[in-house]
Amino acid sequence: MMASQRRKRGESRILRYLILGTWALFCIVPVLWFLSIGFRPRTEIITPSPIYWPTFSLDAWWLLWGDWPMGHYLRNSVLAIIGSVLIDLVLAIPAAYSLARYTYRGRDDIGFYILSTRMMAPAIVAIPIFFLFRNMGLLDTVWALMLVYAAVNLSLVTWIIRSYMIDIPKELEDAARTDGASDLRILWEIIIPAVLPGIITAAVIAMIFAINEFLFTLLIASTRNAYTMSVALANFTGGSDGVIYNAIALAAFIAFVPVFIVVVLIQKHLSRGLTMGAVKG
Amino acid sequence: MRQSSPLSTTGAGHVAPDIFAAGGRRRRKWRRTLFPYLLVAPAVLYLLMITLYPGVYAIYQSLFDVRFQGWTWAGTANYERLWNDREFWAALGNTLIIGGIALALQCALALLLAYHAYRDPFVRGWRIIFLVPMLFMPSAVAFIWKLAFNDGRVVSDLLMRAGLVSDNIGFLSSVWLSRMTLIVADVWQWTPFLFIIFVAALQSQDEEVEEAARLDGASWPAIFWNISLPMMRPVIAVAVVLRGIDISTMFANVMIMTQGTPGGSTETISYFIYRIGFKTFNFGYASAISVVMLIATIVIAQVVVKRAFRSGSTP
Amino acid sequence: MARIELSGIQKRWGSFWGVRDVDLDIADQEFMVFLGPSGCGKTTTMRMIAGLEEPSEGEIRMDGHVMNDVDARDRDVAMVFQGYALYPNMSVYENIRFPLRMRNVMKSDHDRRVREAAKLVELSDYLDRKPHALSGGQRQRAALARAIVRKPQVFLMDEPLSNLDAKLRQTMRVQIKHIQRQLKITTIYVTHDQIEAMTLADRIVIMDKGMIQQIGTPDEIYNDPANTFVAGFIGAPPMNLIDGHLEGGTFSAPGVTVPDLAPHHDGPVILGIRPEDCHVAETDAHLTGQVYGVEPTGDMTYLSVLAGEKLIEVKAERSYRKPLDVPEQVIFDRERLYLFNAQTRERLR
Repeated sequence: MMASQRRKRGESRILRYLILGTWALFCIVPVLWFLSIGFRPRTEIITPSPIYWPTFSLDAWWLLWGDWPMGHYLRNSVLAIIGSVLIDLVLAIPAAYSLARYTYRGRDDIGFYILSTRMMAPAIVAIPIFFLFRNMGLLDTVWALMLVYAAVNLSLVTWIIRSYMIDIPKELEDAARTDGASDLRILWEIIIPAVLPGIITAAVIAMIFAINEFLFTLLIASTRNAYTMSVALANFTGGSDGVIYNAIALAAFIAFVPVFIVVVLIQKHLSRGLTMGAVKG
Repeated sequence: MRQSSPLSTTGAGHVAPDIFAAGGRRRRKWRRTLFPYLLVAPAVLYLLMITLYPGVYAIYQSLFDVRFQGWTWAGTANYERLWNDREFWAALGNTLIIGGIALALQCALALLLAYHAYRDPFVRGWRIIFLVPMLFMPSAVAFIWKLAFNDGRVVSDLLMRAGLVSDNIGFLSSVWLSRMTLIVADVWQWTPFLFIIFVAALQSQDEEVEEAARLDGASWPAIFWNISLPMMRPVIAVAVVLRGIDISTMFANVMIMTQGTPGGSTETISYFIYRIGFKTFNFGYASAISVVMLIATIVIAQVVVKRAFRSGSTP
Repeated sequence: MARIELSGIQKRWGSFWGVRDVDLDIADQEFMVFLGPSGCGKTTTMRMIAGLEEPSEGEIRMDGHVMNDVDARDRDVAMVFQGYALYPNMSVYENIRFPLRMRNVMKSDHDRRVREAAKLVELSDYLDRKPHALSGGQRQRAALARAIVRKPQVFLMDEPLSNLDAKLRQTMRVQIKHIQRQLKITTIYVTHDQIEAMTLADRIVIMDKGMIQQIGTPDEIYNDPANTFVAGFIGAPPMNLIDGHLEGGTFSAPGVTVPDLAPHHDGPVILGIRPEDCHVAETDAHLTGQVYGVEPTGDMTYLSVLAGEKLIEVKAERSYRKPLDVPEQVIFDRERLYLFNAQTRERLR
């Protein structure tokens, strides 16, 4: 992409930066403002009229780690996320390989079925899933969360990895077969290393969607055993005080930072990952 | 036998003779055709567990009147009630209205921003700023705007200081203002999603085509409108379908910000199911709603999604 | 012993015939070249021998054993691909070693054999590099080494030199032939480049549109073509093919008269004569026309003569410099004339 070409658009440069700048501000200002909320004392959040020069306070921090089991929330989130992504990778990689590399009857239908589970609204299956876990005694456990997150993200992970596998030149597999490798060997030694960027992208995006998951988590978790960051936010209420925003804000940022770092790292692959291969960045 | 050569002769020389046994040949053939199915089976079975099983269970449960005391047979009573339920249709309508406006808005914004941002190397470095809203948990975003609009009255205050309004605005008391808060939250968070996709699609377009159009005398907006945009159509289709599906399942925003007020005008279908099931505990009825929505989803998936992904994706 | 026999091979995709009626015997240690334009079926045929494709009909035998149902893994063939197909995540050493691991060769032998193969292709200093750090020629040699290391019964090569520049191609050609002789392995080599075919082959199989046009040694193919396709494909510049009429032993076409030919082939025929067998003549010309193009190349001059609507190529003296559009006459070497049936395009003997 040559920058020189764009210099000719000089006449609209001002307009361009105005529009982009305004939007950038619109993106950042609420974030900064919310960050400031996280570092205010309780008294300065919900006031008759908003305060624009707040006093700095670490109230929220102590609240999170003292009054609430923030450690538990974090731990649950991390476990559920990592566990679900591992399940997904184990299931998705062979499935993606099958969809990408083999031709057989029903392949496209199977592929479409897998894709369609991404389309399903959580609310639709929420009630039966709730009863399922209740009958299995898995309510309020991280295991249930893991299973649900894995199911929700499986389609995404499969299709992202499939999109990367399709790009591998067929010659590579032919060569390995002539060299004597079995199909599983080919998958393990050749295909997987070749699509590693795709696997990482899929894992990262799945983790983010798992962190974000709200409805299922809300139904499944009821105590600190299973509350995750996402749903715990809705828990930061204190009776007569109502919603405790400084705690919420701080917790939101604690979740934000790792996601931010990781997304910056896979920036290049984002559009391809989010559209499951339909749009190559 | 081959004579001596620089390389040693040990190693796989002749093909193992037992391969030629008819049984071996057939067995191998069978395994080969079965193999791709085996690879894909675990994933498919796992997914069937969360689609087939809940589907069947929901259908079953929807035929009953489910109370704490027990399940009584209700036949199609739940469905008949659903058909006549004003709240159900209202929820559907809300979902379409709120979702439709939010989707159109974020699509237009994303296109506008993408048009200005692509190919500008200066902007490329700052693109990460545009991504930020998307990286927060949706529940966190809901709280941000809940505070800004309702609990913290920040928006009202700014408008008052700007002299645009004279009094505090109660966003939750007006139907459209309430919906607007949901729309703003969604647009703020998810415009970046469309933005990066559109930018990626535009950047992958052939620069020479634009240069040719430029030489032909077209202005940049004209080039975008007549050339870049039409070329983007499959991408827009895919992105809009993906985002459209997610918007139609809007739940966290509703639950955290409005809970459906005022008067159910911001109740989306997901929240409706949740309320019926987990607030009134009428599981039979909630299951009926779920079944209906499931069928609707399947139909839409067949019609819309298949086409979008067929034309949009490269394989 | 690695004798290969193809009998009655057909390959069909739906209604499209990729390969038709292929019957072929390849002798042990023979260097057989499959030659033809893109889409002629040569690569498909080779892939069937490799086991990467299944014939729709027909049998493939190696040393008498029917191989149709044997998987590529279990056939003792090694293949060098057009794009080299080196495993990108492994070093050259590991790439070359891969087939040994897959075929369960004793671990203690691995190192020695990898180094022997590397030495043969002169890559010994590059064993630690990954494929992306190699030049095109080095990658090609790595792919070759990987094929060699197993000592297979058959080598298959799918246009291995087509991605290299001309000079490298020439060097590698010589090296490949040399290695094949040294290792004495039956080799099948697919190419569309007739120079490669002529210089490397013991025998050539020319294919077009899925069917074998002719099988023979390079000399046979060149001097005794079976039809106009073969005649026009081999030789650069290609053989001149003139449509005309044979009557009473005289061939006539616009601007062309050739008397005293065998009379029993009367009818519409095609006359073939190679550019190097055409000479500029002062008298007794077979062909009269005007100079259309003069292209001196240093060692000779390519002359195009327009006779009627037909353009004839002649390899003329290096000093030939006549201007365009002047009349010119050409005489053919009678010993080197070919006649083809105008309908069937088959050679008339």
